[in-house]
Amino acid sequence: MSNPTRPLVTYRNINAMAAYTIAISAFAFLLLPIYWLVVTSFKPLESLFVVPPELWPHEFTFTNYVNQFDTRLIRMFQNSLIVSGAAAVLSTFAGSLCAYAISRFYFPYKNALLLFFLASMAFPLPLLMITMYSTFYQLGLLDTYWALILGNTTLGLPLSVWLMTKFIDQIAVDMEEAALLDGAPPFSVLIHIVLPMVRPGLAASAIFVFVTSWNELLMGLTFVSSPEVRTLPAGITLAFLGEFEGDWSEMMALAVMVTLPVFLLFMVMQKSFLKGMTAGALK
Amino acid sequence: MLYRVRKYPVFFAGLVLPAALIVGFLILYPVVNGIVLSFTDASPLRPELPQFVGLENYEYLLEDDVYYASVVNTSYIVFVSSALAVIMGFFCALLLHFGVKRFAPLFRSLVFQVWVFPWICITILWGWLFNTDYGLINYMLTASGITETNLDILFHETGAQWVMIAGFTWRSIPFLMVIALAGLQSISTEILEASELDGARFVNRIGHIILPLIRNVLMVALLLDSVRFFQEMTLPLLLTQGGPINATMVLSLFTYQLAFENWDFALASAAGTLWLAFLIIVAWLILRFGMKKEHVK
Repeated sequence: MSNPTRPLVTYRNINAMAAYTIAISAFAFLLLPIYWLVVTSFKPLESLFVVPPELWPHEFTFTNYVNQFDTRLIRMFQNSLIVSGAAAVLSTFAGSLCAYAISRFYFPYKNALLLFFLASMAFPLPLLMITMYSTFYQLGLLDTYWALILGNTTLGLPLSVWLMTKFIDQIAVDMEEAALLDGAPPFSVLIHIVLPMVRPGLAASAIFVFVTSWNELLMGLTFVSSPEVRTLPAGITLAFLGEFEGDWSEMMALAVMVTLPVFLLFMVMQKSFLKGMTAGALK
Repeated sequence: MLYRVRKYPVFFAGLVLPAALIVGFLILYPVVNGIVLSFTDASPLRPELPQFVGLENYEYLLEDDVYYASVVNTSYIVFVSSALAVIMGFFCALLLHFGVKRFAPLFRSLVFQVWVFPWICITILWGWLFNTDYGLINYMLTASGITETNLDILFHETGAQWVMIAGFTWRSIPFLMVIALAGLQSISTEILEASELDGARFVNRIGHIILPLIRNVLMVALLLDSVRFFQEMTLPLLLTQGGPINATMVLSLFTYQLAFENWDFALASAAGTLWLAFLIIVAWLILRFGMKKEHVK
């Protein structure tokens, strides 16, 4: 196979090898914390406190994971699922309707409106939460799922609108025009023509809001107080600040379990999310 | 444009209504109400109606050392970690695009996952990595001979700040890398090949051709990310509670504690209003001076 007249080591090869070496070490360095998290979660507690640390566990154990399964944790998982799922659906619903109006209607100050949505992501959350707290109190929503669902929908909405506007802008208007000329009502044009075409966008928006709501800590700590409606981040925070006594391997197992759902979801939608984000950023 | 509002008023209203309700009641009203509250003595602990107190809350804040510390710390931590993240993200994107192009999609999807890593998990992991006696970081520092004994990183002012910076930077490198990579991929190969034929060196090509072309993209990504850093407070809340000696007291934690630990809604609103004003000024500066005007479009 090899050509005897060509030297085996060329400048090209050296450059490529250097690039691969640097790339692999850079990415290994970036992924090292995650490696350490996963490895620690499989170690028995005693072997955490040895010097030098075991880079690969001498003894594998699943007890850290098994020990997590009590009713309290299952409850928190359930609560986080309900809150994040509902917020994802609500935010994507309201966001895509509004995005369709922005994309297809003629009205002034459209760019200013989009800019407002983008800017509203920067509004200080504690400042918003002060009035949200009073509003939810008056409506009797404190300590219910609704406070968290509405709060998370609010945080997710700007991105849903932004993402969906970018997706709808990318599809040609011809089909809708033809359907309207044929006498179809605008609402069914939206349902039957536009929404099926932006399915990747809908998925990206829903998963993004799900992930941010899954992550959300402050409202979970503040708007609810009873364990029956407490979400994962708030529950872990209270446990970490309260009853935690240095059982790091169990904490790592818990962290892995909390991360896994959003990792898997994000892996599925990475492509369409990137498409929407870069279309937004590059234009 | 497909529709006109005058021709389809009901359809338009139906589309906009859900979003408008959410924005109106849960974003606009809270901001306006917060600004109003900042001029009163509102607190849920007080049963009587809030009284107008003028600028008292602002005067109090401006004389408060902890508030000053939080402004300085937030600016420092956000600035350093944004700068580090943008440099490292750009470096990784260059590496992927020019060095290991064939594996770029694989590396990208591996690393981009970091971006959804829940903050609560980063916080716990950071607590373990930077642990004084058994943390991996301390082991690496002593084993490589950089330090002689294990450091109380989290209980040292500079150390704790750098733990926060490491967390912010680590989490946002993937995002900036992905955006920069998309920017690099949008540059036409002809420009780069032409400059290569003209004999421009790689470093010069980066500085004179690539960077100017993707500068705006990077700036937008940087702005989006630094805005997120401003909001984020899981790390200081759990690991240091703002300490030691307020070294990691950041604006978000300061405002949150005023509002929901001291239940001083008025003072917290004043802090939030100043924070909002500060953000508006910074965003304006970046958009005004950081962005390059596009001449032809």
